[in-house]
Amino acid sequence: MRIKLITSRPAPASVRDLLSRMVRGRGPTEPVQRREIPYWQERGWNQSGNTYNGTYQTRYAAFWGEIIEHSATDIDFFLYQPSDEIRRCGHWACFQHRGSDWYLVHMGRRPKDVSSGMLAIERLITEAYES
Amino acid sequence: MKRLSVVVAGTGQIRDVEIQPGTTAGDILNQLALKDYLLSKGPNDPFLAAAESVYDKVNDGEKIFASTKAEVGLRACA
Repeated sequence: MRIKLITSRPAPASVRDLLSRMVRGRGPTEPVQRREIPYWQERGWNQSGNTYNGTYQTRYAAFWGEIIEHSATDIDFFLYQPSDEIRRCGHWACFQHRGSDWYLVHMGRRPKDVSSGMLAIERLITEAYES
Repeated sequence: MKRLSVVVAGTGQIRDVEIQPGTTAGDILNQLALKDYLLSKGPNDPFLAAAESVYDKVNDGEKIFASTKAEVGLRACA
């Protein structure tokens, strides 16, 4: 029986890719360099002089924050517009209102770097939502 | 054996370690000479106590954080 070709169309990209891989084999792997940056930078905060701005991020909520590093041992952590969950948590007394809905978070044990303090505040936020 | 990447939060430096069953958080911090630091899997997880076994709590190749001890208002507020 003779076959008459009427029209043709390209195979789907997924099929072409699969066939291409079968012919070529697996290509060389490309190592991805990992970044070694401070936690504050990894979380997308910005630094301007001794002031850092960004958001404290948890799986439940994110809050705008500001951190002022007066010295290596004197760092102030601020949080903007804490939620009801934070206001109801046991650490609410540690938040000092500084006007315009900004709160200074009092550290009982002071961190030795900005990133460690950020982690402590993010952990507090998580606990506030889980309690 | 499990491999772990310990990220020093303040600097971003990554220290790769291999741990055996029973290795504690304190063992890792001592080995890395990170005095006054605590280990955690991140802000959504609690700190690992020094005597706590880390092996069962992490997956092979996982990244964990080492941060200096910090606590919100422990003495004044809690």
